[in-house]
Amino acid sequence: MDLGNVMQAVADRLGTIAGLRVYAYPPDVVQPPAAIVTYPGTLTFDETYGRGMDRIEDLGVVLLVGKVSDRASRDLITKWVKGSGAFSVKAVLESGTYTAFDTIRVVKAEFDIITVAGVEHLAATLTLDIAGTGA
Amino acid sequence: MALRHGKDTVIKLSGTDLSTYVTTSELSRTSDSHDVTTYGNTAHVYQGGLLDGKATMSGVYDTTAVSGPRALIRPLIGTVVALIRQPEGAGTTKPQDLVQVLVTSYVETNPVADMVTWSCEMQCSGAVNSAAQP
Repeated sequence: MDLGNVMQAVADRLGTIAGLRVYAYPPDVVQPPAAIVTYPGTLTFDETYGRGMDRIEDLGVVLLVGKVSDRASRDLITKWVKGSGAFSVKAVLESGTYTAFDTIRVVKAEFDIITVAGVEHLAATLTLDIAGTGA
Repeated sequence: MALRHGKDTVIKLSGTDLSTYVTTSELSRTSDSHDVTTYGNTAHVYQGGLLDGKATMSGVYDTTAVSGPRALIRPLIGTVVALIRQPEGAGTTKPQDLVQVLVTSYVETNPVADMVTWSCEMQCSGAVNSAAQP
């Protein structure tokens, strides 16, 4: 797997969700609401003999919405972290067809508050488990 | 002395290289032991008998047709085929074990939160040819 191709493929698939602004890597400036594909903590090589499989167990996608205290923020982020439907990040990512890797699973969503331009924004970090050929 | 990493291991069953689907493999050789203790001995005395052995391998499930683990191994259950295991990888003069094996089981395991995996058990049939790779 090529990590850059993996991050781009995830971003491209996220881009099919209506109204979701996607960054394929962490940018200098973010304009919420948005999804940001971030770098993984670990890329594990040689999961099988002969470079058969590499694995990324923690590729991050940060979903950034509006002010924590806005009801619209809650409505938007819960729509994206829903387990199914056209706006579900998990459903959309896991139903995609990819050439950059073989399998993808959205493992969990962790909620946080991130300050952007001095304003506290509601955020959710999705952890993606991705595996593909080692070549 | 030089250490070797397992990632370079090559394993082939019935002529097909399964290495890229395999995460671990074993080839164990055993011997019958015959107790030949007689009067006068103060401890058991043993003599070796027939050699025997088993092989196992397991790994990550793959949908590849014909040469993937499911496609290849399932039809081989109950049949005797050649197993080649190269513990230091492929290369002239590197070690190799070649043995006929009876494929006795193929198991697929599907955990809810991880990759589908498979495992295979084989019974050695006959002697192991451990001549180095040509």
